[in-house]
Amino acid sequence: MTFKVKRLIFSGAFSKLAGMKLRLILLVLSLLAFLSASTGGFLYYSSLKKSALEEAERQAQERLQTIQKSFSAFLSENIKPVRSLAGLDFLQHSLIRPDEAAALEKANLILDHFNRTLETEVCYLMDRRGDTIASSNRLAADSFVGENFNFRPYFQRAVQGQPATYLALGTTSGRRGAYYSHPIVVEGRPEPVGVVVIKASVEPIERELVSASDEIVLVTDPHSVIFISNRREWLYHSIQELSDERRDRIARSLQFGEGPWNWVGIRMEGERHAVDRHGRGYLIHRIELDHYPGWNVIHLRSLAAISRTVSDPLIRIAGPSILALCVLIGVSVFFLYRKASVDILRRQAAEQALRESEERYRSLYHHTPAMLHSIDTNGRLVSVSDYWLDILGYERAEVIGRKLTEFLTESSRRYAEETVLPEFFETGFCKDIPYQFVKKSGDIIDILLSAISDRAMAGGPVRSLAVSIDVTERKRAEEALQHAQQELRRYSQDLERQVRKRTQEVTSILKYTPAVVYLKDKEGRYNLVNSRFEELFAMRNEEVQGQTDHDIFPNEIADQFCQNDQRVLSDSCSYQAEERISQSDGVHTYLSVKFPVYDETGKISGICGISTDITAVKKAQEQLRRLSGSIMDRQEKERKAIARELHDELGQLLTALRMDSAWLRHRLKDTDAHASERALTMDTLIDKTIDGVRDMAIRLRPGVLDTLGLVDALEWVTSDFEKRTSITCFFNHRPVPNLEDTLATAAYRITQEALTNIARHARATRVDVSLGIEDGVLSLIVIDDGCGFSLRELTESEGLGLAGMRERASLVGGFLDVQSQERKGTRVHFKVSINPERPG
Amino acid sequence: MIKVLLADDHSIVRAGLRRIIEESGEMEVIAEAADGREAIRKAHEHVPDVAVVDISMPNVDGLEVIRQLRDDYPKLPILILTMHEEGQYVVRAVEAGAMGYITKQSAPEQLVKAIRKVYDGHRYLTDEAAEALALRVAKGAHGRSPLDTLSMRELQVLRRLALGNTNREIARAYHISIKTVDTYRSRILKKLDLRNNAELSRFAIQNGLIES
Repeated sequence: MTFKVKRLIFSGAFSKLAGMKLRLILLVLSLLAFLSASTGGFLYYSSLKKSALEEAERQAQERLQTIQKSFSAFLSENIKPVRSLAGLDFLQHSLIRPDEAAALEKANLILDHFNRTLETEVCYLMDRRGDTIASSNRLAADSFVGENFNFRPYFQRAVQGQPATYLALGTTSGRRGAYYSHPIVVEGRPEPVGVVVIKASVEPIERELVSASDEIVLVTDPHSVIFISNRREWLYHSIQELSDERRDRIARSLQFGEGPWNWVGIRMEGERHAVDRHGRGYLIHRIELDHYPGWNVIHLRSLAAISRTVSDPLIRIAGPSILALCVLIGVSVFFLYRKASVDILRRQAAEQALRESEERYRSLYHHTPAMLHSIDTNGRLVSVSDYWLDILGYERAEVIGRKLTEFLTESSRRYAEETVLPEFFETGFCKDIPYQFVKKSGDIIDILLSAISDRAMAGGPVRSLAVSIDVTERKRAEEALQHAQQELRRYSQDLERQVRKRTQEVTSILKYTPAVVYLKDKEGRYNLVNSRFEELFAMRNEEVQGQTDHDIFPNEIADQFCQNDQRVLSDSCSYQAEERISQSDGVHTYLSVKFPVYDETGKISGICGISTDITAVKKAQEQLRRLSGSIMDRQEKERKAIARELHDELGQLLTALRMDSAWLRHRLKDTDAHASERALTMDTLIDKTIDGVRDMAIRLRPGVLDTLGLVDALEWVTSDFEKRTSITCFFNHRPVPNLEDTLATAAYRITQEALTNIARHARATRVDVSLGIEDGVLSLIVIDDGCGFSLRELTESEGLGLAGMRERASLVGGFLDVQSQERKGTRVHFKVSINPERPG
Repeated sequence: MIKVLLADDHSIVRAGLRRIIEESGEMEVIAEAADGREAIRKAHEHVPDVAVVDISMPNVDGLEVIRQLRDDYPKLPILILTMHEEGQYVVRAVEAGAMGYITKQSAPEQLVKAIRKVYDGHRYLTDEAAEALALRVAKGAHGRSPLDTLSMRELQVLRRLALGNTNREIARAYHISIKTVDTYRSRILKKLDLRNNAELSRFAIQNGLIES
């Protein structure tokens, strides 16, 4: 294993190295290809260039010869004409007789004629001294007539009898020309009498000479001053550097103007090569002019131009193909390089993956929480996982090389040696073999072993890979599970029994309860009804199931049910309502408690309702109410009667008695002082009695209430209250119409009761009683600032007092609201709607 | 002689009253009526100088009798003679047009005096009746008045103080302690934003609680 990994690592490194090398080779190869192509190209180019140079030289030679020839031709062109001219009599005449105007005129005409015919620049005639006497340009601004040219060599030679040709820049005209001179000899005279000259411009020949732009043609004098050139700026410059002495000589000769005949900068390099100031190379040839010793025709050709003549066509023709070739080569090199790189990368990645997987496998093998081991064909342990060691408590060194069976219990070992191993070596496979391992500590663990074998190429097993699963815990757990299952079974049986019992109980309750019980789903369909329901509506449970209220009951009843059901569903809380149902013996009132039923997810699944028949209770309640009403009514009537009796009858009688006793007292005042005194005592007694009777009557029922109405009665009772209790009492009222007697009585009694309570319990300092009417509702409010009370903590009698007030309120169809907070006083509010048209 | 019409449903009472009236020697009962309707008829028949009328009577009650007699004989003074002591009756009676108001209980002492007074065109009221009337007038006349903040008992004390009664007198009149009267007094002064009894009197007059 270790070896294998090393090999892998090595081969990985190797491959990396190989990858680099391959890339380098590719690079070198492409460089070599490029180099050889370049060398070939260069050699080819050099040979081309060489032949071009040779060709150029040859061309230059040819050219020089041509130029020389045409120059020679040009220079000899006017020799004959000038000779002819010199032989003409008229010219001789004009020289011999210079004063003869006609002769001079004739000479001029001849000169004009020649000049015209020969297309020369000028023809002129000089006398012996060198003065020009006649000329074809005599009429021009730069006329030669009168000028003296005796410094010119051509004159000097001619005057000595020699015809001459001469190249110079004209001193008068400033134009270059070839001067052809000839002496004019008159017979009889030993020396020439004058000289005739034809001057031809060199410019036509200069133009003729020069054609190609990349060549320079020069004609130089012996001092190397350039006289003719196809490069205008070089004219009158020198091709060599001039010494001062030479410069002086040239200046004196007046041959080339006034100088300064600068050097053009051409320097010779060897026989054939010259370099200018800028370092440009030239191929140079020269040839002497015939008959003009020292005069040269020089031919310069730019080396760059020659190269161009080679490279230009080459580039033009071969350039694109070479470029295409280069691109092609480049692309293919790049492509191949890429392909090679990709291939290398892929190999590297694959190797990396293999390495990682190998690593993972190793890590897995050692760190997986499973007991892994491998044995060789002898049954000896080759490797074990860390977990294997952990479980059995050994060090790796203690187990490698030992037989696996040494770690088994006796019985397992036998089983292994006799059955499992032989079979395994044959099949290369075994699964879930129950073994028992012995730990180093001596503990025994149960395992299940599964193994496969690695086979060599030949087919025989080499080593195994075995997984052992510790099932000690599992075994224990299985036992526990079994136990738990038994427990569970027992428990569920118990539960079932309980459920059965509960169900029976609930069923009994449902069956025997006098209440109607039913379950509906959310859509209002009955799921279950109890026997009371069945009995009441003469329908069996099965018939009712799935039906809605509208299927069973008349519309108005069903609507009523549905409305209440809907309320439970929308509010999600229980709701209590009285529902009225027609039955065979009349309309029954049911008190229905309805509440939502939830499913296991906590959502409302339906409604359960329990309806109790409260018809009898209702009836009793109603009777009780009526009874209590009538009792109160009767009580009130009796009180009224007694009060009236007391007040009107007894009171009146006492009053009459009082009058009589007063009369008596008055009568006896003078006669019997003693009797009069007794009568006075009687008066006082009767007064007290009358007060007592009146008081009694008024407590029973104040006459004000009956004769003057509620407002006056309340006014009286509040001021009476204040008088008796010293609790400040305000009474406010709005205009109130006459009220029905029972209503006024109720209001009065409620006020009285409230005031009584305040006097007894409230410890108030102020009471406000207000009576008003708004929108047909009579409103009586009694507020105190006393200690208040908690409604729950009222004693029975106090509670009864409140109940009595409520009773009175409800008997007249009103409503009593009592609010009280400890230490914040009490507010009793009686509200009743009145019909103002009813007579009071 | 002042001609008196006597209307009361109790014959014994009526007899007692007649005796009181006639024994004065300066007035005579020219007619008696046992109920309201009869009283009106007798008034038409006999044209009395003064009508003495009970409030509680069968058929037409006393208050209605006053109203009708006022309509027919605006100048006929009517004296109410009743068992009732409650101020409410006094107010109603005076509102209806009665000139005097006395209880039957006080008849032996006051009846003749009262008849004479009303006959002379004066109002005759017992102290209690005068007070009840004053308070009612003061409270009820104006829509909203500073008196609204006072309770009935406070109004009573205020009136008495304005009339010049001493604390002792007031305490005796209402069966309360002198100290309580003083408490009422300071409470009233505070509520009405007054400083002393003089201001208090002025206030009572301005608000019609007493006559100046």
